[in-house]
Amino acid sequence: MAPEWPPAVFRPRRTIRPTREGWWCLAIAILLGLTSVNSGNNLLYLLESLLLALIIVSGVMSEQSLRGVRLRPLLPDAVFAGQSVMLGAVVRNAKRRLPARSIALETADGARVIAFPWLGPGVEQVAAWPHTFMRRGRQRLPGLRLTTRFPFGLFAKRGRVRFEQEVIVFPSPAVVSDGRLHDTQGGDGIAARRRGRGHTLRELREYRPGDDPRLIHWRVSARTGTTVVRELEAEATADVRIVLRGTGARDPRRLERGLSVAAGLALRAAAGGAAVSLAGAGVSVPAGRGREHAHRILTALALYAPAEAVRADAPAASAGREIVVDLD
Amino acid sequence: MRTLSALRLTTTLAVGAGVLGLYLAGLLGAVGLGFAGLALVAGWWLQERITPSRRVAALITAVIALAAALDLLYLSTVVFDAFVRLLVLLVLLRLVTARRPRDLRDAGMLAFFMPVASSAVTVSVDFVFVLVAYVLASMTMLVLAHDLGEAERAGADAAALAELRTGPGVVLIGVAGSVVAAGVTLALFFVIPRVGEATLAFRNPSQRMLIGFSDRVELGTIGQLETDATVAMRVHLPAGPPPPTLLPHIRWRGVALERYDGTAWSTDRPRGRAVRSFGGGSLEVQPVRGPGTYLQQAIFLEPIGAEAIFAAPHAVRLWARNGVAVVDEAGAISVPTPSARLQYGVDSLVGPGPWGGRLDADARARHLQLPPLPPRIAALAREVTAGTRTQAQAAQALTVFLSRDFRYTLTLERRTDLDPLEEFLFVRRSGNCEYFSAALAVMLRTLGVPARVVNGFQRGEWNPYGEYFLVRMGDAHSWVEAHVDGAGWITLDPSPRGEGGLEPATASVSLWLDAVRVRWYRYIVGWSRQDQVQAAVALQRVATRPWRLPWRDLAVPAGAAAAGLVAAAVVAWVAWRRLAAWGPARAAVSRPPDFYRRALRVLARAGLRPAPSETAREFAARVADSAPAATEAMRGLTASYEAVRFGGQTPDARAMEAVRALRAALRRG
Repeated sequence: MAPEWPPAVFRPRRTIRPTREGWWCLAIAILLGLTSVNSGNNLLYLLESLLLALIIVSGVMSEQSLRGVRLRPLLPDAVFAGQSVMLGAVVRNAKRRLPARSIALETADGARVIAFPWLGPGVEQVAAWPHTFMRRGRQRLPGLRLTTRFPFGLFAKRGRVRFEQEVIVFPSPAVVSDGRLHDTQGGDGIAARRRGRGHTLRELREYRPGDDPRLIHWRVSARTGTTVVRELEAEATADVRIVLRGTGARDPRRLERGLSVAAGLALRAAAGGAAVSLAGAGVSVPAGRGREHAHRILTALALYAPAEAVRADAPAASAGREIVVDLD
Repeated sequence: MRTLSALRLTTTLAVGAGVLGLYLAGLLGAVGLGFAGLALVAGWWLQERITPSRRVAALITAVIALAAALDLLYLSTVVFDAFVRLLVLLVLLRLVTARRPRDLRDAGMLAFFMPVASSAVTVSVDFVFVLVAYVLASMTMLVLAHDLGEAERAGADAAALAELRTGPGVVLIGVAGSVVAAGVTLALFFVIPRVGEATLAFRNPSQRMLIGFSDRVELGTIGQLETDATVAMRVHLPAGPPPPTLLPHIRWRGVALERYDGTAWSTDRPRGRAVRSFGGGSLEVQPVRGPGTYLQQAIFLEPIGAEAIFAAPHAVRLWARNGVAVVDEAGAISVPTPSARLQYGVDSLVGPGPWGGRLDADARARHLQLPPLPPRIAALAREVTAGTRTQAQAAQALTVFLSRDFRYTLTLERRTDLDPLEEFLFVRRSGNCEYFSAALAVMLRTLGVPARVVNGFQRGEWNPYGEYFLVRMGDAHSWVEAHVDGAGWITLDPSPRGEGGLEPATASVSLWLDAVRVRWYRYIVGWSRQDQVQAAVALQRVATRPWRLPWRDLAVPAGAAAAGLVAAAVVAWVAWRRLAAWGPARAAVSRPPDFYRRALRVLARAGLRPAPSETAREFAARVADSAPAATEAMRGLTASYEAVRFGGQTPDARAMEAVRALRAALRRG
């Protein structure tokens, strides 16, 4: 990624841009200044001073409004590359006595997120806005701009808000077909077919007390006159081991596609209740179940770097059911 | 109040202030003021009820364009005036036909050009009052317009905007902003570099004083002015009030007239010589020989249209803005540039005289000129001066005779067909200062003493707040200068119209307000590059002058002391900022949340107070023992307290609900 220029240290903390009326005000100030110098009329000098004072007072009051406004980010549970996610922040006026008037939050591209006409001293409000992270990996939260046109609407003063927090952006999960999920390579190749909460229909049977009402097959029940429920197969009845083949160092696009497929597989398998593990060059996550474990695998995929993978050992052979994903 | 109504009101006030300023500056007549006032009121009334359609607005615009074209081409004699009237019409049009808040704001901002136009033609202190009114109204207007604009940006439609309400806070912001802006304005005004002398813009100078201070003055002319209380000039004495011995000799000399034709005084002496200065220096008016005391004067003359300028006799040096003056042989000074006559400085040598030396034959002949006169005037002069040995004694005798045996009056009706002076001396025996001075000058001439009449002003009223003499039109005066015994000129004032000491006769408030007006002229209207240089030099002098500390014998340069003070202030500010940054954190640790303190007050009323060493949970358990009904409420309260105090969370509705439940439980229990 190209470094930002100028560096953050040298970028102004605040930027001021005149509004339409502000440009008029500046133009009049310049003309009046020239007229004052040309005529030597002190009353014109007085009016010129008044205009300049108006600009200064505007700057001081807008600074007073922006100062002391603090933002605390609210992070989403999971963030996937290429998918819109709602980011949030708690906006707090940390000033002890003065309100923050007429402040607005804008994204870096100038889109207004939310505006607060009045934020009393010590008062908090929550703001949320959609954002799409385009790449996987560890990324800093996007900054915001705190904007105000207070008090006269002549100048828009903006302050940069930089969040120090980072977010792990998971690879965009590819849509995985059932066939792909059951397409095993290596291991015993036999999946124990048993009842579960998958998507594949195993059989229809009569309703028994305790069955989930959502599984009632209403159409068949109506036709047969007895309550019939669907019995589903567990989709991943055996442990799923996702193996990343290759390092992905040759073709970044193939690498990203592979990681995306791996993420889709991991999510799909975890949702089916299977224990999922991940293995690949330089990456290894032991088997585990549940949402948090899925996030561990997604984190490993998000942070996968081909350069490190090259140096790592090749994945060890596994006795479990394996789904191989090519990265090269 | 509805924000939109408040915006309309403040915009109307801002425009009204601008229009009033134009009126006070003379750019708008009474008719124009009435029309604008009517339009403002009608606009206000209409806007609160209907919004004019675009067609009506277009029609009014067309009418205004037509009227402006006619005004510019045929009616107006001055193009500037036509543009001012067009400006007024445009602002009123924008105000009356405003459909959105920004239209109103535009009208208010456009009205800024009204004070700009006024500033081109006025130097009056009224300008500042109008400007203050405009700034107050327009700043509040801008804040209100901003609020409405933000609401519009947030998606509010016209109906929602109309319902938006505002409180006194906006007015407070407007007033506070205006006060701060006024301070910054003054600071900027004084430091913005000037490139030369200040020019003084004014127009329509009053012509009435021309009749009293021109090259030809009819007898009785000055008397017409003597009932007028209008301020004519202010003479500031930088050295403070003059000593009592000098008071009788202070008057403000204007024109000197030596030709008398029986009804009027005029002059036929040669045109004076021009004196010039370069680079803001003084003009050497005339060499003066004679005993006296130097009197420094800074004179602020109202625009009166006369070329003559006024100063205490006898002017030695002059500071005039244009650097040019004309001085004639009688010592009368005229400044050809009208604006340069409004403020000037004079150094005079003031005293009893005699001044100057011998008269040449031509000047002597001119100062002895007489029209055909009734013989009894000369006879009276001889009779009064019988027994005197010198011309000076004769002059004094005539002066005493007139001031003692004649009465001063402003009632100047003619009773006979006699020569005016003859009627004054032998029939009426009363008159105003012109008759006294004319009679004295003529009688002196019949005795062979060269004499002339001088018109100017009496001393005026001393204003202790500004340390200046306030001279009114009514102080217009006429006296005599006589050249006695070949030694020089002496001043003779035969009029019994006396002046007292320095005790002011006007109310203190009026004098104080007038002193403000003088400062306005001195420090705002007349602020120049020279003043900036002088201020900088004074600052430098103060900064480099050693300050001797009272408690030890150590001299510290003032500049170093000032730098030290500034450094100390910066350190204090930084320290305060740091402390302020620590403040909330410390407060968070040491101070329980508001809702918990409220709960503690409720519990205290029930006799339950936490011990200093007791934790919140321990206290909650003790409360539960004492008041079992409050157990649940205390549990919720304690949980909220811990979440806020130690978990960094914000108090939510549950906390307040817990306080209410606690209060209810204690009431039940």
